Amino acid sequence: MNKKVLATFFATVFTVTTLAGCGGGSTATPASNDSDSKAAETTESTDTTASNDAAETTETADASTSAGKQTDGKNVPELTTEPLTITLWDIATEDPGKSTQEAAVQRFMADYPNITVEQVHQQNDTYKQQLVVAMSSGQAPDMYMHWGGGPMAEYYKSGFANDITDMYAKYDHPEFIDAAIAQSSYDGKLLAIPYGGLSGCDIYYNKTIFAELGLEVPETIDELEDVCAKLKEAGYIPFALANASKWTGSMYYMYLVARHSGNAEFDAAYTQENGGSFNSPAFKFAAEKIQDWVKKGYFPDGVNSLTADDNQDRALMYDGSAAMMLHGSWQSSGMKADNEEWYTENIGIFRFPEDAEAKANGVPQNVEIGTAIGNGFSFNCFNSDGSVDQAKLDACFVLATQYYNDETYNNMQVEVGAIPSIKGYGAETVDDPNDKYVADVFFSASNVQLWYDQYLPASVTEVHKNCMTELFGLEKTPEEIGQEEDDAMQKALAEQ
Amino acid sequence: MVKENMNDTDYRKEKIKSVVAWTIATIFACVQLVLTLTPFFFMIMNSFRKQFDMLQQGVFHLPDPWYFQNYVTVVTNGFFGYFLRSVIVVAVSLILMLIISSFAAYPLARMEFKLNPFIYATIVAMMSVPMHVTLIPIFKMTTKIGFYDSLKSLIGPYVAFALPMSVFILTAFMKTIPREIEESAEIDGCNRYKNFFLMILPLSKSGLSTLSIYNGVAMWNEFAFANTLLISPQNKTLPLALGQFKGEHSLDIPMIMAVLTLSVMPMIILFIVFQDKLVKGMMAGAVKG
Amino acid sequence: MGKGKKVGLAQAKAKSTARAASVFLAPALLLIAIFIVYPVIDTFLISGYKWNGISVDRIYIGLENWNTLLHDEMFWKSFSHNLIVMVFSILLQIPLGMALATYLDAGGKKFNAFKVIWFLPYLMSSVAIAFLFNYALATNGGIISSLATLIQGKRTTIDLLGTSPNALYTVIGVMAWQFTPFYMVYFIAGYGNIDTTIYEAAVIDGATRWQYIKLIAIPLLGPIFKTACTMSLIGSLKYFDMIWNMTQGGPAGSTELMATYMYKLSFQQFNMGYGSTVAAGMFLLITAIALLFNKVFKVKEDY
Repeated sequence: MNKKVLATFFATVFTVTTLAGCGGGSTATPASNDSDSKAAETTESTDTTASNDAAETTETADASTSAGKQTDGKNVPELTTEPLTITLWDIATEDPGKSTQEAAVQRFMADYPNITVEQVHQQNDTYKQQLVVAMSSGQAPDMYMHWGGGPMAEYYKSGFANDITDMYAKYDHPEFIDAAIAQSSYDGKLLAIPYGGLSGCDIYYNKTIFAELGLEVPETIDELEDVCAKLKEAGYIPFALANASKWTGSMYYMYLVARHSGNAEFDAAYTQENGGSFNSPAFKFAAEKIQDWVKKGYFPDGVNSLTADDNQDRALMYDGSAAMMLHGSWQSSGMKADNEEWYTENIGIFRFPEDAEAKANGVPQNVEIGTAIGNGFSFNCFNSDGSVDQAKLDACFVLATQYYNDETYNNMQVEVGAIPSIKGYGAETVDDPNDKYVADVFFSASNVQLWYDQYLPASVTEVHKNCMTELFGLEKTPEEIGQEEDDAMQKALAEQ
Repeated sequence: MVKENMNDTDYRKEKIKSVVAWTIATIFACVQLVLTLTPFFFMIMNSFRKQFDMLQQGVFHLPDPWYFQNYVTVVTNGFFGYFLRSVIVVAVSLILMLIISSFAAYPLARMEFKLNPFIYATIVAMMSVPMHVTLIPIFKMTTKIGFYDSLKSLIGPYVAFALPMSVFILTAFMKTIPREIEESAEIDGCNRYKNFFLMILPLSKSGLSTLSIYNGVAMWNEFAFANTLLISPQNKTLPLALGQFKGEHSLDIPMIMAVLTLSVMPMIILFIVFQDKLVKGMMAGAVKG
Repeated sequence: MGKGKKVGLAQAKAKSTARAASVFLAPALLLIAIFIVYPVIDTFLISGYKWNGISVDRIYIGLENWNTLLHDEMFWKSFSHNLIVMVFSILLQIPLGMALATYLDAGGKKFNAFKVIWFLPYLMSSVAIAFLFNYALATNGGIISSLATLIQGKRTTIDLLGTSPNALYTVIGVMAWQFTPFYMVYFIAGYGNIDTTIYEAAVIDGATRWQYIKLIAIPLLGPIFKTACTMSLIGSLKYFDMIWNMTQGGPAGSTELMATYMYKLSFQQFNMGYGSTVAAGMFLLITAIALLFNKVFKVKEDY
């Protein structure tokens, strides 16, 4: 045991000292900050042998140690050589996410044999509860997954997330896209490392039905309404929407707001300052449009009784009764898993159409809804006196930035249709034409608005979701809904 | 036997009445049969389908084609481990619960002492505790005594949570046992403990078997405690096995139906074996002697 | 109950009774104290704080949460839903369970197949029930809507889960479907507890089956009946599982129950302090209703 630790130590020291100033290999960071990756790669092989020799001369060491770490030559914090255990919580209960993420942890543990990572896969639907239970009992994991937004802020304010702004500036890391960094930050502090890959939100449509009716992909909301009318007339349900889940209906609402105001009105409503309100013109526009569409029968009957959790929206697409579905880009891989042949033959995608009138007035039309990080890791590395446990934090940071998000990890992600939120992983790295489209739209977005139900404070989220039911159920007027959301927002702001 | 007795009565009127009553009852019985069987049937049918077929053809449709891979996947994903652990936890908890609750019900049902109504009321009150408020305290205790992530951790909460209801039910059952039995025993010089084991306990068998069914099913399907207290895959119980087929954005419904079908089967078999004990008149012969 | 019976009991006997009682009760009370009473006390303590559930800092605010609770529309709305669920659960599950049990008791062994099949719903997990009923009741291709279309001869949708009062009653129906089998088994056991000689004697006296049930069995099952009602009552007042899987309290809170409301506050909205207040209030309300019910019922029983 001790020998192994010693060997690791020497190996590390040796490589670090000999390679200092070498420029840093960039296996893990496709768009690394400084040096040209070609040069780095050639030096890499020599590095490996060098460190190999070093390890052997010092002591007969573990094969995996002596093979050289993938962080060798990188500007990363030097990790402890003492035994260390990290508990990590994620929600990768099933493949492919499970094997991708377990592989990252395995690579890390092979490089740092003194560090044990206890990786726990929690079930998604009870995940928030599990975190609350563990945190309130002082048993919070050292590194845990979340979706950013309101809850991340809450974890930070309660002392369960390290501020990693300085570390991020100091050490090597993948070049995350700006939207991802923005979503991982709160109050100007970086609190998380993204790892889940981005998800856009666009309209999946049935190409066969469109071809049969001679329909074109709509580019403006007016054209979209034309398409809906024609579909309806031909006996199809224009939109497959399962709104018992509420966040599904919210996608329509969010996009209409974004198209009408370029999201400026949402930002204003979020602060409730300078006349910002959920009753401002864009919100009214969105709510009225939706209620108009409901009345025209553009959504399935009983839209509030169908649930996306049970795939009832997908079922409407599969049996050919509905023609379009506004949904998160994870639907591609879901549909492909169900039946790839059918998917390739029938499914196309287009971005949410533009508001021509707003565009004429100069409102940006490239604000997209979605998540730039998918999932992110925050770190909870504190000593009992409240000071930062730097040794542990360093290890977590290296694991999240250099093993998650390394090339192997990202390739595995891309293979299953996830798009890493890292610069350089644009549309060209994606095979699936629909996913390619999503990536294109996403990367050319001027701004990515995180789903309201993850972005808003938790209490407002609940109100917003209920409002979505009432909106699609025609139970409340647009004004009433705006008012309710305003009230909830003001209450949440007052409590902060 | 019972019906023959009825038909033996010579009154035609009674007979017609009885025939009509039986017919109506049987119609209702068949309706109930359809109502209970249909969902169950489709749970099993959907476990033999691919998700795409299920969604495209509709959930209430026979498998076309039949697809058996779900079961292979479930079984090769450690199903038997989950299954075995569930058996152990449920068996241990159930036995402990039955012993402890019959102990507690006996004095409440058949002894007069000052605190009796108070304790009884407290136990009734404890039935109304929403289980989610106990999650955090129990999690804390479990980690403190080092039981976290082990099967042991479930036994305490399972037994404790089954107790109020069980004591409550058993007390009611024990109250229906005629007083004379105990009194005659007391005259014989039996003490209370003997009395309990030799007279009351055997006579409460039907109550105990109801409790085993009620709590056995509840423990077998219990999710919240297991989900909170067990984290490693090699320690998890059956209800957590579903999690393997449920992700953030994906859900393999037929696979889940396969897991659920496999986990309900042993319960059904147990019930078929057990249910015979339920109809038998437990009291038969007890008073006669 | 046993009024004045055996007034002359020796004090020594009372003492030995008390001793025996405490020995018998000790294990149960100990477990209940650790796993239930302690968390309940904890809940009441937390209800005095403004706390997000995870932070080390909690602010003591006295009875403010309780004051909020008294004026919380959502809570009282949930409570009223619970009351509706309670009333219908007792009215549906108990009589149905009793009817099924009576039928089986009369039929004897040859009805075993009925018994096993009728019992199936209780064995199914809430996850499967929620899924299958969501599809069976779906407006699109669900069984109910398809039947309605068939009967009407034109496309008819019956929205059972997506609109306001319907959803609650639908869920009550599904709950009855799920729990009636348990009460069936429960009453079968009750019948089993009745001395068979009583029935035989009744038949010899010329009683019909119905007379036996009405005049002998039901009164004898009195205490069993009362417990069943209490169980259904408490069960429906703290119900969580299947509702959570099926509607999560939706649409727009129309199936929100106290337990789902409490869960959302405590574990999803970072409002543990108030969530605990809801839980504590829920506990008080349920206990009060249960004890009241038992008291009222007891008076009746004595006549």
